[in-house]
Amino acid sequence: MLKILLLLIFIMLELCSIELVVIGDKNFSENNLTIQQIRAIFLDKKHFIKEEKILAMNHKVNHPLRQCFEKKILKKTKRSLERYWRKAYYLGKRPPKIISSTNMLFLYLDSVHPAIGYSDLNATFNKELTILYQATCDNDS
Amino acid sequence: MKHLFIFFILTYSSFLWAEEEASYGWNIPNSSINIGGYLDTTYDTKREEKFLFNDIALIFSANKNRFNLLGEVELSHISLNGKSNNRSDVDLNLERLQLNYTLNDKQSIQIGRFNSDIGYWSQAPIPILQDTTTTPHIVGNFFPKATTGVLFRQNINEENSFSVTFQDNKDIAHQDESIQVNRHQALAYYGVHNDFSWRFSLGSYRESTNKKARYIGIGSEYDGEEFSIQTELFKQHSDKNDEKPYSGYIQSTWHFKEKQDATFRFESYEDNALDIKEEIYLLGYSYRPTTKTALKGEYIHHTKLPLNRFVYSFSVLF
Repeated sequence: MLKILLLLIFIMLELCSIELVVIGDKNFSENNLTIQQIRAIFLDKKHFIKEEKILAMNHKVNHPLRQCFEKKILKKTKRSLERYWRKAYYLGKRPPKIISSTNMLFLYLDSVHPAIGYSDLNATFNKELTILYQATCDNDS
Repeated sequence: MKHLFIFFILTYSSFLWAEEEASYGWNIPNSSINIGGYLDTTYDTKREEKFLFNDIALIFSANKNRFNLLGEVELSHISLNGKSNNRSDVDLNLERLQLNYTLNDKQSIQIGRFNSDIGYWSQAPIPILQDTTTTPHIVGNFFPKATTGVLFRQNINEENSFSVTFQDNKDIAHQDESIQVNRHQALAYYGVHNDFSWRFSLGSYRESTNKKARYIGIGSEYDGEEFSIQTELFKQHSDKNDEKPYSGYIQSTWHFKEKQDATFRFESYEDNALDIKEEIYLLGYSYRPTTKTALKGEYIHHTKLPLNRFVYSFSVLF
């Protein structure tokens, strides 16, 4: 009985967690980016990969994947990101392009090179993509 | 006429309150051109004109391939009688006009008039971006707030960079409260690690009045979830009798509620030009109903100068 209960708890925790993957298009020049490089791209501090201008894409504000991304990759709270983008806007920086769905992300990744975004690992199966970084978020993220 | 003007400004600002999504400016469709701006109003109990529209500014930007253009034009110090900087005609000033070219991922070059890459306050010198309405003594007294020249930036890695600034010509803006120069050379370093950052800068300048000065400064900031602390210390050496031996401050902001902050600042400076050595204490409160608006109130206490006062402000970034 205890084993079944523990198994159920494990399954529930697995279902509640998000396996986040930072993904590039299939011809993405770098196979691995450091977390600092990813952070710089999404904060409009790094614009080029191998001399080519990169398109960065973000999910909508309250999307669970974005919340996970901001916590695990950007390592910033909503408040500090608001402060950051207020100043960044004044300095002429622009936030990443907002995409309305994961399907739209994949469409952009198919047609724009180099392009970068993030998704749930499960959604990337059978897709021609370059996985650049992986992180796990609990359901409270 | 003036009431109509104020009515327009406040009505427009109130519409901005309603929008929660933090997207600034207006993008011209099918282009990379963005147009926005900001508005600052202040009420200062010690000023002759107590209520002022400090700035009504337009910001425009565009980018194409490796080029980025950024401009800022403003009307400043408009009183309720409709005068701008005590002039009855419209007094437009060019705050920034800069063209940035990205050489590669590590290097960029910038020409035009831009905010000097010195210290923390010059990076974002408008009240909506700061925790307080008033600025420390360092700002506008130790180095030129703006430079009309060339800036070269080298990124050492994603978190460390330095810049070299050079100016040897007249300032293209026609008025500024800050030091106006016809020569400016500066070297600045900026580093960041998680929530902690630090800056180091040194430079020299020559004012339009031929006064020459050299300056050096260090600063650091912790910007955390619960609170932030910022501190800077500058020294200026001048070839005349108006040397500024030191000016430093420590400012802490406590984010005690989601949209509310409390700020305390302690400053100390010595200024031979003013023949004064004093301390300044500031206690402030700010409320940000949306990411684009801020209401602030603060009390400033000077130990020597008769400038103890309350200052209130309302600012909008749009």
